[in-house]
Amino acid sequence: MLILTRKPGESITIGDDIKITVLDIKGSHLRIGIQAPKHLMVHREEIYLAIREQNIKASEYAATQKQQIEEILSKLATVIQKPTP
Amino acid sequence: MEINTTRFGNINYGDSPVINMRGPILGFEHLNRYILINQKEASAFWWFQSVDDGAVAFAVVSPFLIKEDYAPELRDDDAALLEIKDQSDVLLLGVVTIRSNPTQVSVNMRAPIVINLKQKLGKQIVLDDDSYDVQHRIETDSN
Repeated sequence: MLILTRKPGESITIGDDIKITVLDIKGSHLRIGIQAPKHLMVHREEIYLAIREQNIKASEYAATQKQQIEEILSKLATVIQKPTP
Repeated sequence: MEINTTRFGNINYGDSPVINMRGPILGFEHLNRYILINQKEASAFWWFQSVDDGAVAFAVVSPFLIKEDYAPELRDDDAALLEIKDQSDVLLLGVVTIRSNPTQVSVNMRAPIVINLKQKLGKQIVLDDDSYDVQHRIETDSN
């Protein structure tokens, strides 16, 4: 891992179009500004991992328990109304 | 056009609009095209079925049906990426996770799938607002 020391207001560039700026430091909290192309996803790591894990779980359960899931969804669907896609 | 799916067997999706993902369902970065299949006629639930991999489908539901005051903020860059010009073209879907024993159902309110129905473009976005849960429990008992 490349390790660099930066002060508030200073930046790091990655490639031609990514810029990471240290905005300020308060105690143990560091605020960071990130400029990156729109197609690149920038997420807090723990959120990214939680969502990824949840998606994988959602897909797995949906695949293995077809019959039960259909029943659960049908039952729940009667409780909430229809959306309009 | 036909696809062999794990849940629905062979389906002809020639009549269904194919949603092209401009940003992935996280964890499924290699899958870009999906169709929506109603779980049952008039059901609130839909299947977001991958066209590229018949084994991958997500149960989805409008998060507005789960939480009345749901007010996600779509970032400008995501709106631009999805070429959203009119709010009425937007469909939001929450990914449903089901555990059968004991029965627990949750909806991911933090990372809805945003779809531009007009342009048939989609992306799973992550909301900044941490009051929305990745696992928002919904009651499975109707009593």
